[in-house]
Amino acid sequence: MVGVTTTGPLEALLRTAFPDASELAVEDRTGGGDHFQVIVSCDRFTGLSLVEQHRLVYDALAEPLADGSIHELRIRTRPRSEGGTTP
Amino acid sequence: MSDLREQIQQIISTEPVSVFIKGTPQLVMCGNSDRALRALRSAGAPVTAVDVLPDPRIRQELAALSGWPTIPQVFIKGELIGGADIVEELHASGELERRLEQAFGSEREGTVKTAAL
Repeated sequence: MVGVTTTGPLEALLRTAFPDASELAVEDRTGGGDHFQVIVSCDRFTGLSLVEQHRLVYDALAEPLADGSIHELRIRTRPRSEGGTTP
Repeated sequence: MSDLREQIQQIISTEPVSVFIKGTPQLVMCGNSDRALRALRSAGAPVTAVDVLPDPRIRQELAALSGWPTIPQVFIKGELIGGADIVEELHASGELERRLEQAFGSEREGTVKTAAL
């Protein structure tokens, strides 16, 4: 069966939640359509703790998290794009 | 508030460092739980691990308490520090050790024990 969830719908949800993101990426880590890595760099994160930043991402993806279409989610957030500092 | 939720809150409030994982420190059943546990161990944290797998209600009650939807969840002195990504990131930057030192001093002993619900 082909998974309904690809990275597209998640990216759309994140774009809506973070329209001013300077960096926004969703990677399907396993190709199975339910293990994702998301990266969001956004000025809105400035001054927020990592917990608060990740909460905003969880809020944006609340629906796919609740309905089980995301089995595993890795999150990487930055207040803004910091060129060259990401590993 | 349910008894189970009270028990969870009790652990979070009273244990120095609590981590809710899938499995036990001896047999971790999830890569992310393992990542969080490794970072805490490596930073010399006095860890109390709680297995959420025996009863699905543990996850539900924990999420209701913390407002955090995923497992693992790490707390230091009752404060939610985050999941595996945050704990790894804090460990890599030295911030995790700094927080542990602030909370428990530099003479703290890195230990791992379990608490059952």
